[in-house]
Amino acid sequence: MSAIATTLTKNRASLGKAILSSPIIGPLAALLLACIFFAVMTPNFMTGPNFSLIMQQVMVVGVLAIGQTLVILTAGIDLSNGAVMALSGVLMASLAAQHHLNPVLAILLGIGIAVIFGAVNGGLLTGINLPPFIVTLGTYSIAYALTRIYTTATIDKLPKELTALGSTFNIGGTEITFGTLLMLLLYVITWFALKYTKAGRSVFAVGDNPEAARLAGIKTNRVLIGVYTVAAFTYGIAALLLVSRTGVGDPNAGATANMDSITAVVVGGTSMFGGRGSIVGTFIGALIVGVFRNGLQLMGVPAIYQVLITGVLVIAAVSIDQLTHRNKR
Amino acid sequence: MTDSKVILEMKGIGKTFPGVKALEGVNLTIREGEVLALLGENGAGKSTLIKILSGAYTRDEGEIFFEGSQVDVKRPADAEALGISTIYQEFNLAPNLTIAENIFLGHLPMKGAVVDWPLVRSRSRELLDSLDVDLGVDTITGTLSVAQQQMVEIAKALNRKTRVLIMDEPSAVLSEKDLDNLFAVVRKLRDSGIGIVYISHRMKEIFALADEVTVLKDGKFVASRRITDVTMDDLVKLMIGRDLEDVYPKREANPGELLLEVKNLSQSHLAKDVSFQLHAGEIVGFAGITGSGRTEAMRVLFGADKATGGTMTLKGKPYKPRSPRDAINQGVALVTEDRKRQGLLLKLQVYFNTTVSGLDRLTKGGVLQLKTERQLVNDWIKNLRIKTPGPDFMVVNMSGGNQQKVILARWLSLGIKVFIMDEPTRGIDVGSKAEIYQIMADLAAQGVGIIMISSELPEVLGMSDRIMVMREGKIAKELTREEASEETIMHYAVGGDAA
Repeated sequence: MSAIATTLTKNRASLGKAILSSPIIGPLAALLLACIFFAVMTPNFMTGPNFSLIMQQVMVVGVLAIGQTLVILTAGIDLSNGAVMALSGVLMASLAAQHHLNPVLAILLGIGIAVIFGAVNGGLLTGINLPPFIVTLGTYSIAYALTRIYTTATIDKLPKELTALGSTFNIGGTEITFGTLLMLLLYVITWFALKYTKAGRSVFAVGDNPEAARLAGIKTNRVLIGVYTVAAFTYGIAALLLVSRTGVGDPNAGATANMDSITAVVVGGTSMFGGRGSIVGTFIGALIVGVFRNGLQLMGVPAIYQVLITGVLVIAAVSIDQLTHRNKR
Repeated sequence: MTDSKVILEMKGIGKTFPGVKALEGVNLTIREGEVLALLGENGAGKSTLIKILSGAYTRDEGEIFFEGSQVDVKRPADAEALGISTIYQEFNLAPNLTIAENIFLGHLPMKGAVVDWPLVRSRSRELLDSLDVDLGVDTITGTLSVAQQQMVEIAKALNRKTRVLIMDEPSAVLSEKDLDNLFAVVRKLRDSGIGIVYISHRMKEIFALADEVTVLKDGKFVASRRITDVTMDDLVKLMIGRDLEDVYPKREANPGELLLEVKNLSQSHLAKDVSFQLHAGEIVGFAGITGSGRTEAMRVLFGADKATGGTMTLKGKPYKPRSPRDAINQGVALVTEDRKRQGLLLKLQVYFNTTVSGLDRLTKGGVLQLKTERQLVNDWIKNLRIKTPGPDFMVVNMSGGNQQKVILARWLSLGIKVFIMDEPTRGIDVGSKAEIYQIMADLAAQGVGIIMISSELPEVLGMSDRIMVMREGKIAKELTREEASEETIMHYAVGGDAA
């Protein structure tokens, strides 16, 4: 009896310890506090439809942040993802609506252009040993320019396949979009890959120390090219979600998306120095940003103040992370 | 005893970190014009003690007396005001600044509103001259060798009117050649009246330099002795509680089949025409000074760098590794010289570091078997007696000896046939060293071929069945166990007669 009781308390203690020492505990606490704050401040916050709305608002940046997390875990940074998403979205919309290509093929080609950008990013930074900041700064401008060279007009009248993910189904009176489900699915897949596959481990190893990783038998260059390419694939998916949510292909879309994706990753507790972080943290980070924007909107705070508060949020999150890690020594 | 004047005395020093009593009842006496050697295994509390002395940590218990009066050292500035300077293993230099700028960093003298550069330069010149350093004061510090940077650190300390100079393993980063120079400088500083605290794992240095030794073990004060009153065996016994003879395992050379044959291997100008054989069950020591091409040759063997010439065969088949992965798959492993930069994934966990090279074996249908992995890691922790709270502990927080064991576990779990170990016990305490030597002996007994690069001659002599001495990228001489002595090895390493 007492032995069982001891084991139970021990397990509970270690479970509690595991939760407390988990890197996502900070972001999670912040998310809960934010939810409580807005629930008190506005009556409309704590409702099913509003949560569904938050998820829709978070969806695009949330998916971009998946790729950004992988890149940042390797101690890199991807400045190109918003621009690549805009190019990808405009291309798939244009091919389907203006060139009457098979919509599914148009989607695949749109995602394809994003993937090519990812492969180019990875190839340049491994092949010529350029820093990720420089490479993606370059490809950001290229993608941005190509989008506007291609079209400056918004493309509408899209076939229904391109907007399908924006449609909803009903659970207990709350409308949920398919795009939200796709985002959740991508998070689960990424979580699994990082935890349960060799490729996932390699991402952390390369981020911690590329030379030590290489001497431990990891094909560092292959991992980096893979990461930037897979990340770009998620930008292609984000493009599809953006198109389906707005119903148009907009060359001016995603202007702040890149910074927002980095914000989500950082607020989620992933280290900019690589090797430390989690995809669950990024999801929570994206939600925190979404909850703040939504809550402030409901409180009637002008949009530009929302951006200002997001900035404060980033610095606060990283400061807290720094201070707690310093104390851990 | 001695009649040298006491500069600084620490009495009953204690320090507790959350959950760990790092120091308890430690005494330390530093005398004018004497070298005090601080001895102890990794984790014995040496670093904590010197951090308290230099103001990086504050003590929880005990008293500090400076020239007889009680003082409080709460922050680095307090230590600096008392004239206590510390030279850590990791230098505190700005690599892009000149030597003179580094010497005066944070203390630039002003003449009106501008820096008095002539004074900075002339004073720096004096300091460098006093240390017999033949370098221009305007040389960029980052371009200097490690030994030269160390001298800049010393000059920096002297510029601040140092009474007590603490040197944390100053020899660990130096080659044998630079050691004599360091010793000369330490003696000179001692003769000028500075009290020196010298930390080192190397017994020879302690007997060459120290006037007094203080031994710590598990955070507690063990003993202080005049160096003339103790033998090396006494000190080892005080440190680890056993005899020195037990450090090197007794083993009979019993070479089996030919494992590896290297013919005329070259790696640009760094390694030239290197040829040797390695048999199963053999430990071949590679001796030589730093930069003699040993590491460069071995990196080619491991596929880390490309050969520029020569051929290799492994178990009779041509061997030309394209990458470290390729070498590992063929049963060749490298324990790197620089554990922290090239060996470990420092900010990741014990389990991660242990299995990172063998994840294929733990993958079933594309999915990592985390339970199997955990079991494997726990087994290795037990087998190699790795001191860690568990598989999830970060390796950065472990002692050097335990970190090295994690690296060994990484390779041992793969069934490696050829083990290249570059300075396998660098920066590791005597107790862990003995354990690593035993692991090497066990591996050899199981038929693994071991190539050991080492700059510590007692280790080369104590462990090797055969010794290859390298000089300027070439093998200068092959010595049998019987022929080898510290003198013969050094003779060929620095280039007496032609090979």
